[in-house]
Amino acid sequence: MTSFIQKRALTSLISLVGLVVLVFFLSRLTGDPAALFLPIDATDAMREQFREIHGLNDPLLVQFWHYIVDLAHLNFGESIRKARPAIDVVLEGFLWTFQLAVITMVLVTGAAVVVGSLAAFKAGGFFDRFASFVSLIGASAPDFWIAIVGIVVFAVSLGWVPTSGTGTPLHWILPIAVLFIRPFGLIVQVVRGSMITALSSAYVKTARAKGVRTRPIIFVHALRNALLPVITVIGDQAAALLNGAVVVETIFGFPGVGKLMIDSILQRDFNVVLAAIMVTALAIFIMNLLIDLAYSLLDPRIRN
Amino acid sequence: MLKKSLLLGALALVASAAPALAQDHSVKIVLNEEADLLEPCMATRSNIGRIILENVNETLTELDVRGKKGLMPRLAESWEQTSPNEWRFHLRKGVKFSDGSDFDATDVKASFDRAMDKSITCETPRYFGDMTIQASVVDPYTVDFVTDPVQPILPLLMSLVTIVPSETPVKFVRQPVGTGPYKVTDWTPGQQIVLSRRDDYWGDKPQVDKATYVFRQDPAVRAAMVKTGEADIAPSISADVADDPKMDVSFLNSETVYIRLDQSMAPINDVRVRKALNLAIDRQAFVGTLVPKGTELAVAMFPPSTLGWNPDVKVPPYDPAEAKKLLAAAKADGVPVDTKLTLVARTANFPNVTEVMEAIQQQLQEVGFNVDLKFYEVAEFEKMYSKPYPTDMGPQLVTAMHDNSKGDPVFSMFFKYASDGRQSGLKDPKVDDLISAASEATGDSRAQLWSQLVKYLHDDIWADVLLFHMVDFARVGPRVDFTPSIATNAQLQLSSISFK
Amino acid sequence: MTETSLSTAEDDLPEMQSAARRLLRMLWADKFALCAALFLLVVVVLAIIGPHLLDAAAQKQNLRMRNAPPFGFANGWMGVLGADALGRPLLPRIIVAMQNTMLVAAGAVFFSSIMGSLLGLVAGYAKPGVSQVIMRLADVIMSFPSLLLAVVVLYMAGPSVLNLVLVLAITRIPVYLRTTRAEVLEVRERMFVSAARVMGASSRRIVFRHILPVVLPTLMTIATLDFAFVMLAESSLSFLGIGIQPPDITWGLMIAQGRSYLTTAWWLSFWPGLAIILTTLSLNLLSNWMRIALDPVQRWRLEMGGRKNG
Repeated sequence: MTSFIQKRALTSLISLVGLVVLVFFLSRLTGDPAALFLPIDATDAMREQFREIHGLNDPLLVQFWHYIVDLAHLNFGESIRKARPAIDVVLEGFLWTFQLAVITMVLVTGAAVVVGSLAAFKAGGFFDRFASFVSLIGASAPDFWIAIVGIVVFAVSLGWVPTSGTGTPLHWILPIAVLFIRPFGLIVQVVRGSMITALSSAYVKTARAKGVRTRPIIFVHALRNALLPVITVIGDQAAALLNGAVVVETIFGFPGVGKLMIDSILQRDFNVVLAAIMVTALAIFIMNLLIDLAYSLLDPRIRN
Repeated sequence: MLKKSLLLGALALVASAAPALAQDHSVKIVLNEEADLLEPCMATRSNIGRIILENVNETLTELDVRGKKGLMPRLAESWEQTSPNEWRFHLRKGVKFSDGSDFDATDVKASFDRAMDKSITCETPRYFGDMTIQASVVDPYTVDFVTDPVQPILPLLMSLVTIVPSETPVKFVRQPVGTGPYKVTDWTPGQQIVLSRRDDYWGDKPQVDKATYVFRQDPAVRAAMVKTGEADIAPSISADVADDPKMDVSFLNSETVYIRLDQSMAPINDVRVRKALNLAIDRQAFVGTLVPKGTELAVAMFPPSTLGWNPDVKVPPYDPAEAKKLLAAAKADGVPVDTKLTLVARTANFPNVTEVMEAIQQQLQEVGFNVDLKFYEVAEFEKMYSKPYPTDMGPQLVTAMHDNSKGDPVFSMFFKYASDGRQSGLKDPKVDDLISAASEATGDSRAQLWSQLVKYLHDDIWADVLLFHMVDFARVGPRVDFTPSIATNAQLQLSSISFK
Repeated sequence: MTETSLSTAEDDLPEMQSAARRLLRMLWADKFALCAALFLLVVVVLAIIGPHLLDAAAQKQNLRMRNAPPFGFANGWMGVLGADALGRPLLPRIIVAMQNTMLVAAGAVFFSSIMGSLLGLVAGYAKPGVSQVIMRLADVIMSFPSLLLAVVVLYMAGPSVLNLVLVLAITRIPVYLRTTRAEVLEVRERMFVSAARVMGASSRRIVFRHILPVVLPTLMTIATLDFAFVMLAESSLSFLGIGIQPPDITWGLMIAQGRSYLTTAWWLSFWPGLAIILTTLSLNLLSNWMRIALDPVQRWRLEMGGRKNG
């Protein structure tokens, strides 16, 4: 097991390096930070001075070398916009995003597995149709639309929760509710699909034929096999959330890493973009590792 | 972390449940964009200035944006021009910085030198252009400024230079120290900035004792926050969400929307074509539909409250028939009027920009122009907006928004119209002469020269297509009394807020 | 030559006809799926012919009809869904936007599902080394922020339908890749695959003949849901100002543009939103039906005449 983790850590490191190289050069293709930091009618001299101070006049490869050398000393550079270490800015945001992602995914997984299994057990029945319908409508409504309607209804008209921001647990309700909807719809569908396949497979039929009671059939035999694709989808959804729920964070003024990322991309604050990507990528790699471990726990045949 | 925020939340609940004592004199202000720095020398940038300008960091002089008092003393008690290129400022005595140190002439010189220093990129230098200025300390309460060339509006320019203690390092700071009535007491990035009133402020004590700033990007959310009482003031919400006449106030925000014409290319180099562009647009039809009621039609690059405003210049009539005639005449003379023009705009530049641009495109097409519409995100837009202009795209009509709340056209005219101006589309010696003459003039002759320039640009050479002086909406909650001004987007003095 | 091909065609014809008839009968048996199929047929037809017929009506501005509410028949049938902020009738706009929306969504889903599932099949069946390379590649794509990709591509190549398809397709590849691989890992250990291997079938034959059909239903489920996801992602890009730019229109852009009128003119973003929901719902119903119709074990449910399809 340890050697497996070591190997994965090594390969993950390689892809992390690949990612950094890719982002470093691609982001620098998207224009000059001076144009965005300085007022739109700044003089050429001011722009030149700005580029000089931030080392943007050096050839790209030289800039990259400086960056790598700093990185080797665990220095992620300064944020141009905020004049403070990029990694501090990112970690602050990531902590918020991480909490949001974990709470949402725990709720989604619990709810979706139960609803999806029940739907599959009586496929085509009323509950199945109803669950599919509701989850699909949820999954196909735009999140900013749900968010704004949610604020208008639950914060302004009913006054049950605050409109936005952070501070009290009440502040978390709307953002989590909005984030919940889409992955829920998706995971319910996948759970339902895999459960139908699992239920119709030979060993479950055998179990049924042997007269095993229905509930254990679902939850012991079928679910265990149905879980593989489900875990994969959960992982993908969690990864998306870890990358930051940009729209939700933007609307609710939630200080997460998604909002930070889009702001930094649009302002070409490269050091923050890179630090944010490294932190989220690390989190995603760790999560993928956990998922692979879960695979091998669920299905001993897969260990390779 | 979660536990901590839960705990804090519980505390906040307890705190809010406690009855509001006699009168709570704190306000909560919700802004559209977080200040990423609180650097005094960047206070002319609106997201920073709205928080710290004149609240935390003061200036020598201050432009009266509410009345007609013109330039008012702030940290300087008086000033005079001692020779054509020399100004003397007499400073206020007994002023203390929030760190306890005394304010004197060395702080003024240090602040000025710091703002102009080449090793940090402050915003201040852009207002001084190519001028050289030297500050010198005469005595602890007197400062001299020597300028080259002469600078008749130096006192006005000093309303843009924030004063910091002389010990401030020459790099961006995140905890500004100033002489203003407030100091920064909490800044949780991404969440809030809190200013608290100082007891040792030199001037009148403002009513507000604590101001909390929070940031929400979506205008609907900002409006909702004031409605639910989560915030007291949302200084800028869009017209679409300003649906409550009891709370919403509109105000002219000093932004001017216009279409820049690059006259180096055919067919834009023909005056008839430029006039046709102007006559083809039904400006009035936009007001109250796509741009909010109260928006004024522009005839100059700066808002009407500015020096040199020319009341004789009139908005061009909407006359598509005449526009077609002009185009036909130009065509008969061999002007390539069928050339494809690219109407360029910036995404999210102002509310409804998409709809406004699509409508303008259609109006131009109706008189026979061949117009393509292209939207660009700000970094790409900048490449088309500022020189050198791209040459491989054919003639472009660049729609932009320009802000001048500073009271003098000098902050607009050189950039927008001089041959060397960074965003200018003209090369006209007469315009260049008028700009340099007006920049050096004072008093009535200055106003008159600017007026003359405005008329020449607008009526004689149809230099560009001026569209609107924009309005903004503020939503003000029932607890507080606050009237926005033309400068509200650049500075929001807490002293102008009172309680009902 | 001609004769032989003709004769085979004649031989195949009745067989194909009967297969088609059988499918139709199965479709008839599931009324939900039937409605869905009809709706999608209408969408596809309108997406193809809509822009030719209605482009002028969709672009015609009329500020007097600005934000006209729906069901005002005074403005003719075109205005039945109301009008947008420029007074352009919404019904023809939704129909014209269908083409771009379908191109973006179908294009992105098509490319990402093909690329993703091919890579996933390889990753699941090939040697661990190859598999590792592919999976780390997926990690890189997954952790590469899609917004940055969007800004890079749109900045360098301009905002067009094709570029948008490219951005969305790349970002969706890992979903198919990982799901396929996970399924393959499970399926390849099943008895019938081992049997095929023992009998000397080539790897390619095993993957495409034995494994793919088992994996396909899950992929279909994901692809239909992804269809909605892509339309919404495109909408979110518009919300953030980096998606399709006017005068091009898509449903996503219409929703994003209408959001500032949510409290005053809800119909601006409601109708395009409804269009997305209906399309997704139809696709999903149809895919559920197809799952059953294509599965020899479960097909009887539909062939019984649909009296009881549970």
